[in-house]
Amino acid sequence: MRPDPTATVDDRVLYIISQLVPVQPSQIRAEQRLREDLGMDSVGSMELLSMLAEELDLDIGVEDITEVHTVGATIALAKTFLARKAG
Amino acid sequence: MLPRADDEVSGPIISQVRRFAARAIDARAIDRDAAIPREVLSGLAELGLFGLTLPEAFGGSGCSLATACGVIAELARFDRSVAVTLGLHLGLGTRGLTAFGTRAQHERYLPGLASGACLAAFAATESGAGSDLSTLQTNASDVGAGLRVNGEKIYVTNGGLAGLYTIAVATPGLGGSARGQSLLLIERGDPGLQVAPEEHKLGLRGSSTTGLVFDSMLLPHERVLGEASGGARELGIILSWGRTLMSAGCCGAARAALEKVASHLSTRRQFGRPLAALEVVREQVALLTARVFAMEALVDEVSRESEKALLVRSLAAKVFSSEGAWAIVDGAIQLHGGLGFIEDTGLALLLRDVRVTRIFEGANDVLLAHLGASELLQTSPPPRAALSEATASAALASAAAALASASPEALASPSAAALASASPEALASAAAGAEALAQQVDALQKSLQARFRIGVFRQPRWLHRLGAACVWREAIDAALRRARASGRADEVAQVSLLTQAARAAVSTLSAEPPPRELYDLCLRESLPRPEGR
Repeated sequence: MRPDPTATVDDRVLYIISQLVPVQPSQIRAEQRLREDLGMDSVGSMELLSMLAEELDLDIGVEDITEVHTVGATIALAKTFLARKAG
Repeated sequence: MLPRADDEVSGPIISQVRRFAARAIDARAIDRDAAIPREVLSGLAELGLFGLTLPEAFGGSGCSLATACGVIAELARFDRSVAVTLGLHLGLGTRGLTAFGTRAQHERYLPGLASGACLAAFAATESGAGSDLSTLQTNASDVGAGLRVNGEKIYVTNGGLAGLYTIAVATPGLGGSARGQSLLLIERGDPGLQVAPEEHKLGLRGSSTTGLVFDSMLLPHERVLGEASGGARELGIILSWGRTLMSAGCCGAARAALEKVASHLSTRRQFGRPLAALEVVREQVALLTARVFAMEALVDEVSRESEKALLVRSLAAKVFSSEGAWAIVDGAIQLHGGLGFIEDTGLALLLRDVRVTRIFEGANDVLLAHLGASELLQTSPPPRAALSEATASAALASAAAALASASPEALASPSAAALASASPEALASAAAGAEALAQQVDALQKSLQARFRIGVFRQPRWLHRLGAACVWREAIDAALRRARASGRADEVAQVSLLTQAARAAVSTLSAEPPPRELYDLCLRESLPRPEGR
């Protein structure tokens, strides 16, 4: 089920990942690798960041991207951009 | 041709293949009987072609992908089913084993595969997983005594002929990966394997296509090919070989169609003049000729790439050559008039055979979106021909005019006039056109990045368009490099002519498409938009 806007960043990221790969949010863990464990290729991980920017209303440019390899790194990236947005 | 006839390694092999094919291959009989005669397969084996790219230590010739592409292109000039059967064996069928197999796997399988005693096949596609291999349902689980394999594959080329199958399966938990994919080696005689009946197809009827059913098969652990659950990476490498070889086949088919056009036009008269003298006809043939030249240049160049570069560049080669082959064979039929619709010309068979190449080994629409996304992710620019400072569009036009006024024979085979060196102005003009095209593609990319930011990866329509623009740029750059290397006036003119078409195409691709809502409204009754993603 889609988390409401007050849900934690972690939950919202896990939900977005579950929209891209056939895995339940409850089965996704921070240490999992996007490629090897979740079957996401480099383009898929960009789509993930793209959905993240839309869901969390973040301004991320293609040039800002540093490749993320794990679920935990994706959550951390989201938090970094949220902090930047908050000023 | 592909590669150049003076290639020291490929040239003699391709000449041998040509002599054999001219003597032994009857494309119409293969199409009619939906089978390749045993003598043809044994003839290919006697030529050593089944071991062409396999290691010499196991009976192969150790030749490069480029040489294999030359052979497949040559075979495709005579019959596409034969080319596909061998190309699948050399690419998707054996590349994984050669690149990732263990010593024991090599010793067990490679000698038979190299001699042609055993053919190879590859199975990834499932009814629910076509171009999206992340959703494989066929799975293997570790049950201690081995791997238990269940599932079904469809559209397996060489399925009915092969003795060894490389299959892609989901292996959750294997190798410590939660959701990985692995490659497995399956032998024809393995208990639990069923080979489904042959499919009846639009084309490639001589090529075997079947399904495979894995019914609770128990495989020894040693049948895992490469790294357990590392299949996604390995799959990419195998597919890039397969796509490149398939692209070479498209070049051969297109070249065959072009030869038929030249032969027909040089003898046929209309309105009291030879058809080859009509301006409208000449323009069409010149464009088809230029497109085949660019296809061959791109595929030959890509086939010499490193493994890493091949991953992306093979996508462009596959799209450009399959779309090109379809357009060229269609154009050849048009230029034959009603005769082109008759099976006797061989063009109808070429058309039926080429159709699937826009679909298999990655549907072109899917690959284009992937290419567009890959372009956005690229940190270093792709290789470009060194470009001239000259920008005179008048020279571009004169180069095109030189081609249009060349003798009809020059369109069919290199004459003294065609082999004449291109002028420095014509070369500079061709280079300037290629540079202008590259700038158009860059501008499209930058505008998408500025407009959508990271959200561009959620814009499949634009990714598709950017991918298509990149394909044109790749093709023109490769053609320019080949023309510059030869210095031939006809080839430089072909690059200039095709660049004009490419620039017009990229202009269209860069224009704002009609809004999505307009499409939705058109389809309101017939195909309402589904809910969700």
